[in-house]
Amino acid sequence: MNLFRRLLLVEWSGLAAAIVIGAGALALIAPNFLTEFNIYVMLRSLSVGLLVAFAQMITLGVGQMNIAVGAIGGMVAIAFGGAMEIYGLPVGAAVALALAIGAAAGLINGLLIARTGINAFIITLATASAFTGINFGITRSIPFYKMPPTLVAFGDQHLSAIPYLLVAPLAVAALLGLFFSRTAPGRQLLAFGGNPHAAELSGVSRERVVASAHVLSGLTTALAAVLAVAQLGSAQPTIGADWLLLSFAAPIIGGAALTGGYISVFGTMLAVFLIGLIQNGMVLAKVDPYWVQFVLGALILAAVGLNRWRAVNSGAA
Amino acid sequence: MNLVVDSVSKSFPGVKALDGVSLDLAAGEIHALMGENGAGKSTLIKIVTGLYAPDSGRVLVDGEPVAFASPRDALAAGVSAVHQERNLIPRFTVEENILLERLPTRRGFVDYAAVNREARRYLALLDGGIDARAKVRSLSVAQMQIVEIAKALSLEAKILLLDEPTASITEHETAALFKLLRRLRDDGVAIVFVSHKLEEVFALADRVTVLRDGKNVATGAPMAEMTRQRLVSLMIGREERVAQIGERRVDWSQVVLEARRLSTSLGHRENSFALHRGEILGLYGLVGAGRSELAHAILGAGRISEGELLIRGEPARIADMHEALTKFRIGYVSEDRKQEGLILMHSVMDNVAITLWRRLAGFMGLINPRKEARAVQPFVDRLEIRTPSLDRPVSNLSGGNQQKVSIAKWLAANVEILIVDEPTVGIDIKTKTYLHELIGGIARDGVSILLISSDMAEMITLADRILVMHGFRIVGEVANDHLYETTSKAIMSRIHALNETEPAAAD
Repeated sequence: MNLFRRLLLVEWSGLAAAIVIGAGALALIAPNFLTEFNIYVMLRSLSVGLLVAFAQMITLGVGQMNIAVGAIGGMVAIAFGGAMEIYGLPVGAAVALALAIGAAAGLINGLLIARTGINAFIITLATASAFTGINFGITRSIPFYKMPPTLVAFGDQHLSAIPYLLVAPLAVAALLGLFFSRTAPGRQLLAFGGNPHAAELSGVSRERVVASAHVLSGLTTALAAVLAVAQLGSAQPTIGADWLLLSFAAPIIGGAALTGGYISVFGTMLAVFLIGLIQNGMVLAKVDPYWVQFVLGALILAAVGLNRWRAVNSGAA
Repeated sequence: MNLVVDSVSKSFPGVKALDGVSLDLAAGEIHALMGENGAGKSTLIKIVTGLYAPDSGRVLVDGEPVAFASPRDALAAGVSAVHQERNLIPRFTVEENILLERLPTRRGFVDYAAVNREARRYLALLDGGIDARAKVRSLSVAQMQIVEIAKALSLEAKILLLDEPTASITEHETAALFKLLRRLRDDGVAIVFVSHKLEEVFALADRVTVLRDGKNVATGAPMAEMTRQRLVSLMIGREERVAQIGERRVDWSQVVLEARRLSTSLGHRENSFALHRGEILGLYGLVGAGRSELAHAILGAGRISEGELLIRGEPARIADMHEALTKFRIGYVSEDRKQEGLILMHSVMDNVAITLWRRLAGFMGLINPRKEARAVQPFVDRLEIRTPSLDRPVSNLSGGNQQKVSIAKWLAANVEILIVDEPTVGIDIKTKTYLHELIGGIARDGVSILLISSDMAEMITLADRILVMHGFRIVGEVANDHLYETTSKAIMSRIHALNETEPAAAD
């Protein structure tokens, strides 16, 4: 087997290569790509995306899906904004409230799935509609604009090209990496994703695993919503409306098994980075933003194609 | 029609599955294909039916070289196979499955009266008592096997390849199948028959081809000139060794698990037994007798409807396997290791350590990987699990080594009671002997074992006492003198006595 084939078998090799080539090409054709400001803008918009991708990655790990990521995001965002604007809660307390709501939404999903045995896709499709209903029922589609200045400032601050916002997803990535590789609940979650029946018969508690996966997913989604509010400077009811595609695209491009039991935190990060790079490049090249959707679709197909090729060539299929 | 396989080779990444294998199958014969697991039997069948393409060599039907691109091509040419893997659609009915790719139609619509008529004709041949209109997913594994065979028959194949067709069907169904195969043979059909059960091969086959490590060690040898010992030594490459179980001391004063007149929602009626410390208690019965189901009921999900379950003398109800492991120190080795015993894509380490993670968690709930490896390695060594490293996915291991992994996780968890369900199904003779010695050793260490098996020889080798189960009831207890002749006769007489007194269950 030649070196190229062997490199292709390493799961994130394709991603890393695509990022290097893409960034190199952009640096050549768009002189303003490598400016501090542009990189800051790009990384800032990635911060929310990373958390959204992690939220879905967790449910993919347990072999399920969370169609409600966007809906939980929107609901948490307006609860977070409303708590500060209407009830005058300090930022810290409002963040705690936001995280609690995200976790509770995840717990509802997880318990419904574990106790009824109904497919996660159906359950979260239904709760997604319900959560979106709560969101628009409360706000009547009107955003909360009066966000505390400290929060808005935090959303803008940066150390040269690194936005402060990026700290949150990086910390979550480190924690998730540790969780999945080094803790009992994390390992059990992946074991359950790999073969629910065998894991259960090995003494893994189904209800605990499924509930914890969805609670974690809800928590991560809530943090994404908080970051989105800080980034936008207002709590828009439409936050989360466009998260679903990215949430699946990134973990899958990053090498996650759709059948569960295998995920890559690092691969997911690279995938979000690549998607951000493509979006940024298309803006710089003044391409109609709607075409970003098209490119994302093509990218998912390419990624699952590569995964399939890898499975066949490593003898796993 | 006749079939000739002429020095066929086939490699998969990292393994040469077939190395110049030949087979000649004449019309009107039953030809046994034997070999240990991994010898290449299934690969050979998949090449003949067009599922795999050979790397070199030829397949000839009636002297003409053929290269089927798919099983569909093979079927069109009169070559049909029943594979080990199930190929049925669970939500469709039995009759739809049998006639799936050629459902008869009338004016563009499926003619269900004709479907039913056709399907029932082939089901009747097998005498399995299966309702043609039942959904496949409501059937037992044995019944599904019957449907698979009926499907192959319905294609009016001239060459029929059966890969372990009797692995999970009852004696009664096996007898009906054999009668049918003999009739097909007399009608000129050429049949390849793969089985691990030597008795069946001697009863049925005319000639035998034996593979070992992907090569022929016997090609079309007449069965009349073959002895059991010769066949076994051809398959394993040396003389058969008898399992050395050694002396064990059962502590008859300590009952660790006791059932008192246990009835379940699955249909068990008033079953009582007691398992002692260090004892191997056999639970023998044919497929469908309700043995695995009894184990499942004991292990949880609230399926016990009446009676008492006592664990170490205390009345107990087990909610699920999680509680069985953590609270009662009971382990369960499933009969279906691929579906229920292992997480195939995960590493050997993960599959063994799964029962340990909670115990290994230290500071902030973190598991030290070196500590984890140190906890797992001794069991990999002790059970001689052959793997290049702990990180290798178990899907890459042989069936025997996979079974060792699914036992190792319970030993690592230090359970006191182990329920072992059909531990050597589909496992070759060499590894089987090893597993028997292993189970004996576990009991010698003081673990109490409830052994579920339909392998009479296995029961008699291992068990201290044998409970006989039939129709979801324990119908008798047989003291095991470890002599095949007397004990097997005692067991069978319990079952037969029952068949005579219960006309409803008679043949």
